[in-house]
Formats: sequence, C-alpha cells, structure tokens
Amino acid sequence: MTNVLELRGITKRFPGVIANENVDVTLREGKILALLGENGAGKTTLMNILYGLYKPDEGHIAVRGKQVEIHGPNDAIAQGIGMVHQHFMLVPVMTVTENVMLGIEPTKNGIILDKEKVAQRIREISDQYGLEVDPHAYIKDLPVGIQQRVEIIKVLYRQADILILDEPTAVLTPQEVEGLFKIIDTLIKSGKSIIFITHKLKEVLAVADDITVLRLGKVVGSIDPKEATSQKLASMMVGRDVSLVVEKGKAKPGEPVLVVDGLAVRDERQNLTVRGVSFEVRKGEVLGVAGVQGNGQTELVYALTGLLPIEGGTIRLLNEPIRHTSPREILERGVAHIPEDRQRHGLILTFPIHDNMMLCTYYKNPFARGITLQEKPIFNNAEELVKQFDVRTPNIYVNAGTLSGGNQQKVIVAREFSRPIELLIASQPTRGLDVGSIEYIHKQIIKKRDEGSGVLVVSSELDEILALSDRIAVMYKGQIMDIVDANKTSKEQLGLLMAGVHPTDAKNTK
Amino acid sequence: MSETATPSQTKTGNRSSLAQELLVPVLAVVTGLIIGAIVIVASGANVFDAYGALFTGSFGSPIRLIEGLQVYFSTGETKELLRAIYPFTESLVTATPYIFAGLSVALGFRAGLFNIGAEGQFFIGALCSAFVGYSVKGLPMIIHLPLAILAGALGGALWGMIPGYLKAKFGAHEVVNTIMMNWIAFRLSDWLLNGPMKASGFRPVTPNVLPTAELPRFFDDPLRFNLGFFLALLVAYLVYWFLFKTTTGFEIRSVGANPDAAKYAGMSIVKNLVLVMALAGGLAGMAGSAQVLGVDHWVGQGFSAGYGFDAIALALLGKSHPFGVVLSALLFGFLRSGATNMQSRAGIPIDIISIIQGLVIVFIAAPAIIRWFYRIRSIKTEETVLTRGWGK
Amino acid sequence: MKKLYFVIAALIVASLVLTACGGGGAASSDAIKVGQVTDLGGIDDKSFNATAYAGAEKAVADFGVEAKYLESTQQSDYNKNIQQFIDEDTDLIVTVGFLLGVDTAVAAKANPETYFAIVDYSYPDCFGTDFVEGQTCGSATELPNVLGLTFATDQAGFLAGYAAAASTQTGKVATFGGINIPPVTIFMIGFEAGVKYYNEQNDANVEVLGWSTAASDGSFTGNFDSLDDGRSFAESFVQEGADIIMPVAGPVGLGSAAYCQETGSCKIIGVDTDWTVSSPEYTDVILTSVMKNMNIAVYDTIKSVVDGNFAGGVYLGTLANGGVGISAVAGASAELNAEIEAAAAALSDGSLTVNGVLGQ
Repeated sequence: MTNVLELRGITKRFPGVIANENVDVTLREGKILALLGENGAGKTTLMNILYGLYKPDEGHIAVRGKQVEIHGPNDAIAQGIGMVHQHFMLVPVMTVTENVMLGIEPTKNGIILDKEKVAQRIREISDQYGLEVDPHAYIKDLPVGIQQRVEIIKVLYRQADILILDEPTAVLTPQEVEGLFKIIDTLIKSGKSIIFITHKLKEVLAVADDITVLRLGKVVGSIDPKEATSQKLASMMVGRDVSLVVEKGKAKPGEPVLVVDGLAVRDERQNLTVRGVSFEVRKGEVLGVAGVQGNGQTELVYALTGLLPIEGGTIRLLNEPIRHTSPREILERGVAHIPEDRQRHGLILTFPIHDNMMLCTYYKNPFARGITLQEKPIFNNAEELVKQFDVRTPNIYVNAGTLSGGNQQKVIVAREFSRPIELLIASQPTRGLDVGSIEYIHKQIIKKRDEGSGVLVVSSELDEILALSDRIAVMYKGQIMDIVDANKTSKEQLGLLMAGVHPTDAKNTK
Repeated sequence: MSETATPSQTKTGNRSSLAQELLVPVLAVVTGLIIGAIVIVASGANVFDAYGALFTGSFGSPIRLIEGLQVYFSTGETKELLRAIYPFTESLVTATPYIFAGLSVALGFRAGLFNIGAEGQFFIGALCSAFVGYSVKGLPMIIHLPLAILAGALGGALWGMIPGYLKAKFGAHEVVNTIMMNWIAFRLSDWLLNGPMKASGFRPVTPNVLPTAELPRFFDDPLRFNLGFFLALLVAYLVYWFLFKTTTGFEIRSVGANPDAAKYAGMSIVKNLVLVMALAGGLAGMAGSAQVLGVDHWVGQGFSAGYGFDAIALALLGKSHPFGVVLSALLFGFLRSGATNMQSRAGIPIDIISIIQGLVIVFIAAPAIIRWFYRIRSIKTEETVLTRGWGK
Repeated sequence: MKKLYFVIAALIVASLVLTACGGGGAASSDAIKVGQVTDLGGIDDKSFNATAYAGAEKAVADFGVEAKYLESTQQSDYNKNIQQFIDEDTDLIVTVGFLLGVDTAVAAKANPETYFAIVDYSYPDCFGTDFVEGQTCGSATELPNVLGLTFATDQAGFLAGYAAAASTQTGKVATFGGINIPPVTIFMIGFEAGVKYYNEQNDANVEVLGWSTAASDGSFTGNFDSLDDGRSFAESFVQEGADIIMPVAGPVGLGSAAYCQETGSCKIIGVDTDWTVSSPEYTDVILTSVMKNMNIAVYDTIKSVVDGNFAGGVYLGTLANGGVGISAVAGASAELNAEIEAAAAALSDGSLTVNGVLGQ
C-alpha cells in the first residue's frame, strides 16, 4: 500500500504564534485519515498549506512519493487534491450545475457555455457515488446536507482523488451525518483517499482508518482507531484527562418558573412553526428540548425571550404572563439566554470583550450613572468575568470577533451567568465547541440548576440533551411529541420521537 | 471564524491600533495627491506650480506671513497680516460645514444607516436658521443667535427623522427616502426663495439675517472666519462623548454593529433608528446654520455646492469617528479652499480636487489597493459594516 | 515598509520645495489683468458667462491683456473669487449676474483702485428706506469704479416677437421663463410687444402664450437647469396650439429645442447668444435668437481700461449701439426682413417703444 500524501516537517509561524510546528502527516491510499484537534490546534492552517493558501516556513509536501510545490488551489487541484470547506463556497442564486462549472466553464465553439455537458457529468458522478443531487436545482432551495454534497461534486468534477473534508459534520443533523458517512464509504470503495478534519470523537471512531491528533500546532501522536477510546482521544486533544460525562446529582425540582400553554409562534417569514406547545420548567431542574434542527425550537426560544411575538397560547414567567413583552423586560425578570447563534445574537464581534460583557446591563448601576457609562466598573467587571470563566484572551480590550468559538461562548455564558437569574434558556450551548469548552459549559449549566434556577436546554445533539436533562421534551414539526424522564428513556426512543413516531409506538419498540 | 486569523491581532491588542487606523487613510490621501499630480502633468501643467498654488491657497504664503508680521510690528498696520492669514482662515471657514455634515453622515454610519439626505437637511437647516435670523426682531444676540442655530438643528432633525420613522415603522429603506427628502428640500427651497421667504427686490434670495443672529467674526472684512468653526469642534467632541461615553451612544453603536444582538440585549431598534436619523439631520441642519449665520448671511439658489454629498466621502475617510471626521473635514476644507488659488494662478481646473477626493474615497473603500501598492502586510483589522444592504 | 518611508520622505521634501517656490505669486507683468467671476452656471454655460468671457478673449487677442476666470460653484464662492482676483492685483474684475450684486459693491467700495464691471446689474440698487448697504443691497449711490452692464433686451425681444408672429402657422406663439425676475421677463415683455405690433400692422390676431405684461405673470420653470422642464413646457405649449416658443431660462431651452427637433412640431427662439452657433445641432429648429451681446459690452469695457478712460456708471446695450440684436430669421422673406429692419430703426430712434406698443 502506498502513501498518496505525505506532509513532512511542516512549520508555519504567524507573528507571535507558531500555528504548525514540525508536523508530519501521512495519508494512505484508499484510506480515511482523521485529523483530530481542538479549535486552534492548527488543523485548518495545515490544510490551508496543503491547499496552497499559505506557504509553509519549513517542510515539504509529497504527493504519491513525489515532492511538489503548491502555490494555490489550482496547483492543488492539478495534484488531485480537493477541499470541501466548512463554510460552503456556493452561490445561492445559481443552480448546482452553474456552481460546479464556476471557474472552469466549458464552452461549445469557444463561446457558448455548455451547461448540458456539465449537468450530464454531474448526473454521472451523482449516480456513481449515490449523491442524489439534481443538477438543475438552485442552491438556495437545497438543505445544508445536500449543499455539502454539491461541494463534494465540485471536487470530484475536478477529478480529485484526495479529498479534504473540513469539519464536514458541524452543520449537519444526525440523519445527514449518517448520509455523509455512507457517501464517504462509497468514495473510499472507488479508490479515493480522504482527510477528515474534526473535533468530534465519536465520528472519528466510526469512520477513520488512521487517526492523527494535533495539539497546539504539534502532532501529539497517531493512533489506531481499534485501540482508541473516546476518553483516550479526548485526553490527547486536551492534554489532560477530561470527563465526558457530566457529573450531576439528582434534581430537586421546586416551583414552576416557566409555564407554557398552547403556545403558537410564527417565524420571520410568517410560517407557523410552533403549533400549540405546552410544558413547564421548575426551579432546580433541567428540561431538555430535543429535536432535529428546524422543528420549531428556534422560534420557541425566540418567543420565550421576546424576540418573536406570540401568535397564540400563553407563557407565564414566575406567574406573570408574557405577551407583547419586550426582550428587556423579560431579561429584567431574571431570564438568561444563551442564544443559538452566538455571532448573530449573542455577541457584537466588532466590540471589545468588556462591552460584550455588559451588553444586557449597560444601562444599570454600576455600568452607567445617569446616561454616562462608567469605564472603571465596566473594565473591572470584564476582568473578573474573564478570570472567573477562564476566557482565553490577551486582554479585555480585544474585539470579541478575535476569540475562538469556545471563548466567544464563554463570554456569553459569563455575561448571562453574572446577573441574578431565575430561568436559564440555553440554545445549542456547545455547538461547534471543542471538548474542553463543552465540558466547562456543561458544568456551569448544572451549577446553575443546583443553585435553584430553572433551566431550559435546547439542543440538536442527543448526547448533550441526555447528559444535561432531567426531563426531555421532543419537538417535531412545531409540536411536542412527548416529555419523558431522562433516566427512563433511551437514544432509540428519543430518535423515534424526533422522527415523528407517536409516543405509544415509540415506547413499544423499546 | 478561521482558526488562524487571530494570532497577530490578539498579541498587539488595540495599543498600536491608532497608527494602524491612520495608516490607510493617510496613504490614501498621499496616493490621491500623487495620482492627481500625474493628471496635472498629463494635462500639460506644472505640478509644482499647481500644488504650490494649492498650498499657498489653503495655508497662505509663509513669505507673506513674515512680511505681514514685520509690517504689523513696525507700524501696527494689520492689513498685510490679515491678507496673509486670509487663505488659512478661508480654509477653516470651508471646513466648518464639512465638520457638521460629516458628523451627520458618520453618526448614521455608526447606527448602520446611510444618510444620503445630509444635503437636503443642510438646506432645510439653513432656511430655518435664516428665517429665525431675519424675522425675529428685537432679541439680544445671546438669545437670538442660539435660537437661530436651534431652529436650523430642529429643521434638519425633522428632515432626518421622517426617513428614520419610515424605516423603523414600514421598513422603507433610508437611502431611497433620504434621496426623496433631498428633492423635496430642493424644490421647497426653490419655492420659498421665490415666494414666502423672498427678500424685497427681484432677487430670489432670503433677506439678510439680523446682526444679532450672525455668528461673530473674528476679523474685519473680507475675512469670514467666525465662531462657527469652534462650535463645530465643540459639537464634534459632544458627538464623540455621546457615541462612546453614554448609554444611548452604546445602544446606537450596538444597533449599527449588530442589530440582532442589540435586539437580544433589549435595545429598541425602532427608537434608536428614529433618534439617530433625527440627530444626524440635526447635525446636517447645523451645517446649514453655520454656513448661513457665519458666512453668507442670506440663502439663495446655489447655496450649497454639495456639502451634504461630500460629507459621505468625508465620513468614510474619517472612519465614522468624530475625530476622524474633523481631520477629514479639515483636509477637504483646505483642498477645496486652496483650489481657488490653484485654479487662478496655475490654471488648473477646480475639478482636479474632485478627482483627488474621488481617488481618496476609492482607496478608502478598497483598502486592498493601498495595501498592495505599499506592500503592507494584510493586518486583519475590524471590518466596519457601514450599512446593512437593502430591505429589512 | 521601507518603500513606505521612502514615499513619506519624498513627500516631505516635495512639500518643502512647494512651499519654497509657492508664495512668489504669478509673474508680474505690465499687462492689464482682467478676471471674470462666473455665477453658478459656470464658464461653459453656452450663454451668459461664456458670452461675456468671449469678449475678454477678444480683448486678449486685440490688446494683449491677460484674462482669466474663476467659476463659482456656490454662493459663498462669489466673495472668495472676487477676493482672489483682488489679491492678484487684477485691474478689471468682471462679475456676472445679479446674484453677485452685493458682493461686487462691497468689494468695489473696499478697493477703490480696482475697476469692476457687473453684467446685468447696476448701481445704485438700494431703494426705499428699509435697506442696509452691503447686505440687503449693494450701494445706495453710483460707484465710480463700477460699470453696470445692462441690456435693452426688450428691444431685441420685440423684433423676435415680430418675426415669430410673421412666421407662425397656427396663430399662436409662446414664451416661458426660468423665474419671474426682471432680467428674464424683459425678454418676454419685448416679445409680447413685438407680436402685438405685428398684429396692429398686419391686422392679424396672433396670440401669445406663457406671458402677459398686463398681469406681470406667465409660465416659469422655477429653475435654470432642468432640461426635462424645457421639454415638458414645450410639449404643453404645442398641445395648446403654439408652434414657436421662446424659452428664457438658459439651458432649459435646449430641452425644448430637443423636443421640437424630435417631434417637428415647433420652432425655438434662442436667447442670450446665437443658438445656431452655440448649439448648432438644433439649427434646423431655431427660428432666430435674441442676442444680448455681452461680449461686445465686456470688450468695450476692457478697451476703456486699456485706453485709460474707464468710467463707472451704467452701460445700456441697445439696438442702436449693437449691444442687443437678433440673428438672421430662418426662412424669412425679403419683405419680412425689411419690416424687421424698419422696426429696428424705429426702436433705435425712439419713434417706436416697447411700452408705447403695450400701452403703458
């Protein structure tokens, strides 16, 4: 068996930081290499070097045993290397065919675009690898999972046989992840080799033939998946033992904090996405809301926090109704909200950390006196929170946008937890975060529960729901299928409920 | 977020950021002047004559200044000295409305709004100030002058608030609405100047404002340098203080930087949009006030040669920061004012200044050109989102 | 970064050089210096400012004077541009348009050694009691160093009106103005009188649309720059039955000319200059032009400075002294030309007056 790709002694320095130091990576022909590491470990830098976007300071790259120089994506393609980026590079208002041919437009007679030829080739590729993509569909109409397949087609169309998939599962639902793994399997069977970049341990164990772990820009080690366990990989990534199980005592539920009855909500496009939802959250318990992304969870949370108006039904917060209540009033009644999209709602990326740390309380003592902001308390508050919540940042004056995803999330958590709260609403609290940050944030959430707050956790990651919740509500098409006790349920039962199977049937199959 | 984008920045923090912030604008101006020089050469003129005249036209001639001082100290005669400082003071006079109008557009940018309506607000402000200036009689200056300025600010504020309200209430885009309001202002002023506000006589101009409403001048005719310039500096500081040191300013910047997050944090988008447009309109209105009360004393057709439109460029150059706006306004003031001398003495059409200004704006809008030209390593600075596109 | 330092250093050196060679001022020669300050129309307005400057250029060729102009883009430029010329020790400053009336008077008083000429304006311009010199008006007295250049355009307008009345097929002719101010309406008054005189002489009944001297009102676009307005005004006059139109609104009239050319439904009478020369593309629709020969007035003024006999006061351009006139009437018969010449002669010797015809 030959090595199709070898990176030897790659070093890349940025001012003040060594992103990669003497990194060796080997990809065997027809195999899947998982490149594992926390955010900031240097995975993306390494792949950008391979793709010609950065020039390494030291080291070399060999493709099929021959040393090559890669100066840009075109060189990479010429060597048969194709990359599927984490953030898709697609034009939404164009069709699949048009997106695929962008940059290498074939023509009839040198002038007229030969779209049909491309569409034909896409159909062939799609059939060959079981991608099921319609060449004439518009990107904007396609679900995320299919868009990713279009990216894969783009790479295959350019006849790549070494595929780099950068965090391919970060944006996918569990079902879409399954689909992706099947596609990867087909690709391998037809002789392609794949580098799979991720920080999700279970995926690595499920698909990889080889595993290379990076930490702080260096290779920590390579390991055979047969000998690896989640625990072991996590320790290698983080550099210390991490607990993958959230340790928590039994819940001591008290008074209801939040009572929702028959709630209906329309989304921004006026579609009725929450259709009659009822539940309650008690003090000292965690209610998890499970469900595949897009089944009304987002709008449910927006309605609870005042970001969307209520169409029907009632919400009572601490026995007071919420109706036409502004987000500010809801905040002031003691609701903390970790929003689903931290960059859209949670932070102002162009503002420094200290401003983000008081984003919801800037008008209150001690941050403001009258109408003037008080710098000293603002800075002190930020310094304290950064220390307390272990936000990794050079200082509190840098913009939030410069932080890694995990640290951005810590800023939000720190801010929301720093004021007295009765109810915590945490939406996808650990999406896209590395193991260390997940562990930390989970602990903080349980701590809030134990302090007596009611907690509502919304997540599309079943593992997370199971780890945190005392009770679990499953949403499907805007309704709650069932609310189950977290100790008396299983992944399988939840999976069926998430797929819309009626609760009694779901129980029977258990 | 790319994993690699952070290191260089996190290390330096914001300590050297001032130098970084200034680097591109300064180079943009320098490059604009260099290309302007090439255009001058291409048109067959002498660059040194042209820029020399531009310099003496905007700052005054050092030789004349020395001579003026000599005459003054030996005879006490000020005429020569005043003549020597005339160009410099004229530049400051030209810069004054630029400062106000630039602040107006910059404030809008800070809230994510594109106030193209500064020109119309400028007209309305000037007309309101003129009206109070000539029609209210018998007041002492200490009351009359502030009243006239206030009238201009309120008139402009009303003119700005309407598009702000339409945007907040109906989602009508402020770019379209402010342009509409400009046309309404232009036509309204045509009508007012030919009708209700027309002075006696046949000229379609307003009566002169009373001396009690004039911004005091510091020197004798023909020097028009007046209190308006210092008022502009004071207002620039107040805008800075408001934006960066008050809770409302914080809200406005939040709404501009990320409206979703602002809403999440409990800020009222509607309130802030209306407020910002009203304040921006008020500032542009004050530009008109300062011009009519300090310089012209009456309003006629052709009162403004596009201060409100130049202000857009100026706010961009000043990175929407009040102090940046002051610096850019001074630059524009000196260029515009000095251009007269350049046109007259070197025969260079005044349009060359527009070319230079245009180039500067292109370089500011596309800093990559400047970075490439001067081989500046791409430092990923914060990208200010100026407006949020159409709709919503 | 090294390159950057180089550029900055080069710039500093350059600015020092500039400072050193600046300030010396223009080369002083003994030639008479003439400076023209335009109004907002700019030097290329094909009318007013351009015509006046043509006179200056002729003087440059004939007398070897130095002439230059400064364009005003806004109100506050008037003063600044005049100051610029004063600063350069200009001998004669020509200002164009009534909007410069106050600034010119103020500057003239402050600089009695400098000669001024102002087109379309004259002093004294302060009347009544409720005025402040230098603010609401320029001067209550005649200024010895200022010559007001005014024009009896009603005389030329009269001839154009006569020609229009003789040429119309529909029996209706029209005129409109920019704004209702004397320098504009004087054309229209003369035009109306000319039509009326034609009716009296020929027992005809040609009607004038767009202006009535009796009512002192008519059609006005409200601006001097919108070609669209010129087009729409022409269109509505044609719909009312007129086939000859005299737009007295600067470039606005070009919009009317374009409309006439496209539809073939009307003819245009140009104003200020001969439009077959200034806008030759419309020659086929131009009946004649009412010419205000500012070039001649400015030329004569410069000549008086050169000859050392400049005198302040008022210059009135008339048919008699060639200060106003009309260009050749397109398609005119020898008869018509003779009638026009006769009318011109009568207007010149005073046996015929505009006011007389209008009964005022």
